[in-house]
Amino acid sequence: MKRKMTAYLMTAAMTAVWMTGCGTAKEEAPAADNQQTQAEDAQESAAPEEDQDTAGDVALNVFAAASMTETLEKIQEMYASVEPSVTLVFNFDSSGTLKTQIQEGAECDLFISAAQKQMDQMDSQADPAVNEENLDFVLQGSRVNLLENKVVLAVPDGNPAGIQSFEDLGTDKLKLLALGNEDVPVGQYSTEILTNLGLLDGLEKDGKITYGSNVKEVTTQVSEASADAGIIYATDAYSADLSSVAEAGSDLCQPAVYPAAVLNISEHQEEAQAFLDYLQTDDCMKVFEEVGFIKAQ
Amino acid sequence: MDWYPLYNSLRIALISSVIVFFTGIFAAYYIAKLHPVVKGILDVVLTLPLVLPPTVVGYFLLVVLGPRRPVGAWVLEVFHTRLVMTWYSGIFAAAVVAFPLMYRTARGAFESFDETLAYSGQTLGLSNTYIFWKIRMPACRQGIMAGAVLAFARALGEYGATSMIAGYTPGKTATISTTVYQLWRTDNDALAFRWVVVNVVISAIVLLIVNLLEKRERASGKSVVHLSGRN
Repeated sequence: MKRKMTAYLMTAAMTAVWMTGCGTAKEEAPAADNQQTQAEDAQESAAPEEDQDTAGDVALNVFAAASMTETLEKIQEMYASVEPSVTLVFNFDSSGTLKTQIQEGAECDLFISAAQKQMDQMDSQADPAVNEENLDFVLQGSRVNLLENKVVLAVPDGNPAGIQSFEDLGTDKLKLLALGNEDVPVGQYSTEILTNLGLLDGLEKDGKITYGSNVKEVTTQVSEASADAGIIYATDAYSADLSSVAEAGSDLCQPAVYPAAVLNISEHQEEAQAFLDYLQTDDCMKVFEEVGFIKAQ
Repeated sequence: MDWYPLYNSLRIALISSVIVFFTGIFAAYYIAKLHPVVKGILDVVLTLPLVLPPTVVGYFLLVVLGPRRPVGAWVLEVFHTRLVMTWYSGIFAAAVVAFPLMYRTARGAFESFDETLAYSGQTLGLSNTYIFWKIRMPACRQGIMAGAVLAFARALGEYGATSMIAGYTPGKTATISTTVYQLWRTDNDALAFRWVVVNVVISAIVLLIVNLLEKRERASGKSVVHLSGRN
């Protein structure tokens, strides 16, 4: 919430600078920079104040894949009675965006990614071919495979384009397909599926793919019927009340596993571990399974 | 380097500035004559897109133009075409955010216009249309041109609302701004940087033009007198 407010304030400040700075192009850039640093300063100085306000209480920053929005918000309510002294602060976005934010210095205690790739990219124990930047954010011993999701082909209400299967994506029935970009796990799974079906190049050449920057954006494009179909997770289709016409089996793409780990930059590692343990209890699994997640093997 | 985003950005910016040029002048001219209360309300409504976050503008546009929404559904049924996720969707976004710039600059120019010139035209039996095009517009030319260039620059730089209603389809709806974002997101920094350079160069040229126009306007204080002498 605080993050959102800051974003709005910054937008307002930048607009103001931009409006007054119209005639003087030279001043514009530095002025905007100033505003930004001020906003950042404000954010930094606001953080310790907040800690004082809630003396004794711990605010856990949980960065989680956008597809977990509904379930984690439900679990947040449950956790309030389990551990009243811990406040959960969520940041939902595509795992790629979250990884970039952590890398750029965002305060994060627990990270739940929608694919192994983004977690591997920050794990010093992972294959150096994946962790190219040699990042070390994962607290060793805390990493677990939390959940598994299914990748599905979702269509708008009433299925106006009449798409029934992944193979239909290669036909004229389809005018526009919504996918996540390569940075979004579901986008990587989608690319894998379309490559395996030999459809990707053709669709790209015909300009039939629109790329969203997280799975919720893709879901909205489908539910608004802006696109004829979209490749998303079964859980997002469930939450958005969309019908999925096909499910990607293991022949089309690898299983969508959600790894979770406490980060070694966290100042509340114990509390973060406790919450991660709680997420693996039967109570939480019930919440996850309700929307279509599967307990990871 | 595929130049489609440049072509698409310029096309969207040009078309939306032409739309905004006429609607902005029209609104500035007629709203100035309205009752102060109505004028005040319309002024706020028409200037809002300038101060609203583009995401809010994008949201409003989606709610109106989406294929499941009133206007979008009607167009889809009658013309069998979608208003969102196409290259021309960007025009709606760009026009809405650029409109206030044209409107406000044109109004400022009209307000500084010496009304006695219009009155003297009327006493000479000139029609209001003639007075508008041959006296008012030439006298306010610099201001109006500056507004048009600013509107063009803003339309060219539109990102938020565009990404919401046009999405990102390479070779179709991709503009410079959405391309930069996608390239950066997908770790293609080198190519993103090249587009950043292209964008900075174009925007700098546009602002240079604005500054030149403003300078000429300041120097042209005399031309109004000259014009009145001729009429």
